[in-house]
Amino acid sequence: MTAILQPGFWVFILTMSGIYGIFTLGLQVQYGVGGILNFGHVGMMALSSYTMAILVIAHGFNFWVAAASGVAVAALGGAFLGLTTLRLRGDYFSIVSIAFSEIVRYVIFNSDGLTGGAQGSLAIMPIGDAYPSYTDTWDTILYWIRDHLTPILGEIADRDMAMGILVWITFGILLFIVSRVERTSWARVLRATREDDDVPSALGKNVFRFRLQAVIIGSIIGGIAGIYWALQVSLLSPDDFLTIVTFYAWMILILSGATKVKGLAIAAIFFGFLYGGTRFFTFWPFSFFDASQRSYMRIMIIGIVLIVLMIRRPQGIFGKREEMVLE
Amino acid sequence: MAEFVQLLFNGLVAGSIFGMAALGISLVYSVLHLVNFAAGDFLTLGAFTTFYLATSQHLPFVLAVILSMVIGVIVSLILEFILWRRLRRSGAGMLALFLVASGIAFILRQSIALTFGSDSRRFDLDQLTTYEFLGAQIARLQLIVLLCASIAITGIALFIKKSNIGKDMRAYADNASLAAVSGINVDRVIIATWTISGAYGALAGVFQGTVQGQFTNGMGLDLLLAILAAVVLGTIGDAYGALIGGFVLGVVMDLSTWDALAGGIPSTYKPVVGFAVLVIVLLFKPEGIFGVRARKI
Repeated sequence: MTAILQPGFWVFILTMSGIYGIFTLGLQVQYGVGGILNFGHVGMMALSSYTMAILVIAHGFNFWVAAASGVAVAALGGAFLGLTTLRLRGDYFSIVSIAFSEIVRYVIFNSDGLTGGAQGSLAIMPIGDAYPSYTDTWDTILYWIRDHLTPILGEIADRDMAMGILVWITFGILLFIVSRVERTSWARVLRATREDDDVPSALGKNVFRFRLQAVIIGSIIGGIAGIYWALQVSLLSPDDFLTIVTFYAWMILILSGATKVKGLAIAAIFFGFLYGGTRFFTFWPFSFFDASQRSYMRIMIIGIVLIVLMIRRPQGIFGKREEMVLE
Repeated sequence: MAEFVQLLFNGLVAGSIFGMAALGISLVYSVLHLVNFAAGDFLTLGAFTTFYLATSQHLPFVLAVILSMVIGVIVSLILEFILWRRLRRSGAGMLALFLVASGIAFILRQSIALTFGSDSRRFDLDQLTTYEFLGAQIARLQLIVLLCASIAITGIALFIKKSNIGKDMRAYADNASLAAVSGINVDRVIIATWTISGAYGALAGVFQGTVQGQFTNGMGLDLLLAILAAVVLGTIGDAYGALIGGFVLGVVMDLSTWDALAGGIPSTYKPVVGFAVLVIVLLFKPEGIFGVRARKI
């Protein structure tokens, strides 16, 4: 119980919330604006984080170049997914997109020589005798921030807090950009395609191209989340990219009311507490279960919240019901 | 040749299981317009309840399987009465149904993990007897699974084709409002759909557990993607298509590892092959193998 009183725990929750928030923002562009049911979003996170890790560890790339390449690969992944399957009906697309992310994870899991396989990024072969780490450049920045925070905040300031600050600055900037983008004519056309293909087509808009652009933009944002994820966990494993992660993002998106950007940050924090906080459910009746059993219950609770939300309030906390019922 | 026969046989066994599970998903979709992401975990539920009843409670295996099918049906019907019915009445869209189904999947899988732990289980069956056929080793259990699955598949195909409820189901799937005004009992159709889906899901789970030898609480989830691929391959909502899609996928996935095919693909990549097949088929025929060209509503 004392862990709840530690500031480190709150910093951890907020950092994870921010990363999940960025991740969900990508989905928001795809579904909230374009009505695209992408259930393979976690695949983009996997692509960017592993690309970055492999380039830095095995090929000695500069971190920034590697991170940019990672995001570019996520964008390419989105383009591939969109070009091959976006012409399919909505329900077909959602199934194929899940398959896409599972294949990405599967290939990562089985390509031992390239990705380290089941052992994760620790087993990527580094150049020379270097320790297989991709966080060195980032750590320098984090320690620089920490050293500047210490005179103000004292002992509380640490590496994790610096990480949280950078995550939330990025999230804030991306939220601002996306909310601006969503007021452009591009987004208006995309929103029109969500309701109906025929009207925008009749007005000479290439519906497929607008949707493809939405998928790619969402994938880029998902890719950025992947880089932050990699930096936060500092050791990648294929298990980080299970399909359930996409469902976490969907839950955040629905909570925030899919069509509105403004609720996203709050919904992400709510999710962070639900996800991170449930491990401290040590009181009755949870005290009957041991730690590993409680970790099963955490996902059960998320399942229950998802169901109750869809029945009681499908428009989320901030959304409009009319905009959700139309699909 | 021996290897070909072996892989073909393995593929048929896998395909019969995919087909049975895919059939349930496709039927549910055609009647209820819901992609049942929880279907994989119903397979796991069937395997674990059978394990519990047969191994821990020492019931005869066949009785344990039948009881597990009954449990699968009961759970499906409970969910229909407390969730799906309510969601239908509130006019929930595709996304809401997707997410509720995934929520059910999480709850079901974690409940199984909570009850049985994360250890792998095995049925107390004779895993060792094999027959030789054209140089291939064919396990007795595989043969039994293939025979039982074939009977189950033929039975359900005839049921949907000939029985009154089966006809009602097809009519309702084709045009719900027309079926309702023609006096078809909609509730009966929906209950029959969940019954088939629940029973066949549990049975497919038992078969898969038998063929695999060992299984954990992730069994159904691991299989779900191949099953969904079979559903889409056979055109979502088409019950016969799902059966054929299952067999096609099972056989293609196993044959892809054949040495004679340019050395074959490492067997760990079998699921990837399944999806490659799916994506290629969809590129040329976006409505699935048996789909009618886009009829937009």
